[in-house]
Amino acid sequence: MKQLAIGFLSLIAIAQSLRAEQPQDIILSHALQAKQDNADFLGFDSHRGEQFFKSQHNGGDWSCASCHTDNPTVAGLHTVTKKEIEPMAPSVNPARFTNTSKVEKWFKRNCKDVLSRECTAQEKGDVITYLMSLNR
Amino acid sequence: MSSIKVWDLPTRFFHWLLVLSFVGAFLTAESERNRDLHVLLGYTVLGLIVFRLLWGFIGSRYARFSNFVCTPKVVVLYLCQLIKNQAPHSVGHNPAGGVVIVLLLLFGIASSLSGWAVYEDIGADSFTEWHELISNAMLALVCIHVAGVVVSSYLQGENLIAAMITGKKLGDVNQAITSNVASLAWLVLVMVIGLWLWAWPAAKDLNWLLHMIVWWQ
Repeated sequence: MKQLAIGFLSLIAIAQSLRAEQPQDIILSHALQAKQDNADFLGFDSHRGEQFFKSQHNGGDWSCASCHTDNPTVAGLHTVTKKEIEPMAPSVNPARFTNTSKVEKWFKRNCKDVLSRECTAQEKGDVITYLMSLNR
Repeated sequence: MSSIKVWDLPTRFFHWLLVLSFVGAFLTAESERNRDLHVLLGYTVLGLIVFRLLWGFIGSRYARFSNFVCTPKVVVLYLCQLIKNQAPHSVGHNPAGGVVIVLLLLFGIASSLSGWAVYEDIGADSFTEWHELISNAMLALVCIHVAGVVVSSYLQGENLIAAMITGKKLGDVNQAITSNVASLAWLVLVMVIGLWLWAWPAAKDLNWLLHMIVWWQ
């Protein structure tokens, strides 16, 4: 009976681990998209991601860092509502980049605010790579 | 039949303030830049609907739920008559319109409460999709409501949009409401504008709205 329960629980655990997405999976899917967009795609770069994260774009007054701060391992502050935003770096906030639809939804929404357009797969992959490279 | 007062002033103010708040909330939903305004308009929607629910029990004749909430049988019968263009004239809301209004109020509450949960980070983001779904459903209900008003206006030969501005519809003289309850309407308006001014300093730019409503009255 006990063995059966353990077997059942490990089945659930395996199913869970298959279901839950990891930041690497999300980076991979962006890499596939970036390769499709651009045949010369050479991979993602955390330094380029950092630069992208901290700069303003297309003459806009916001950068990603306007709300998420220059240090993504600490909590951010919404520049309009003054509400706290949980850290972006998965090293301190493991829930980040574990749900593709949530990631895409927020990239879409926030890129429109910062760049007045949607981000490319290259840009998104660079930013996630940068956030993944940060240690606590 | 003659032109009689049917919609009291609180009902009309509620209606147009809800239109303004709901449309405004939809227009400010896509950008974080408007997040504070969006949330303020959501609170306004909630407050307005709470008022309307109360007014549905203590308001004047045609504002009361008892006047326009019908049994499913009556609603189906009305829709059948409507298809045959034999629908009886309703002084207040017709039975089908009553259904849409109750749904609009319920979805408005669900939309604003789920939005509040999203804003306050209750339920770890699980309310986000509900909030979007419910709000889109409410937009669909608004479209049904407007379509119903346009169709009924055409079939009855009576401008129902104007009726929600002037409060006047066709009916017998003895069917008219006896009071406009204007003082309560102005109290509601002052409270809504007061909320906007208090919660959002930039709302001072909306002073033109106050002037417009004073002029209209």
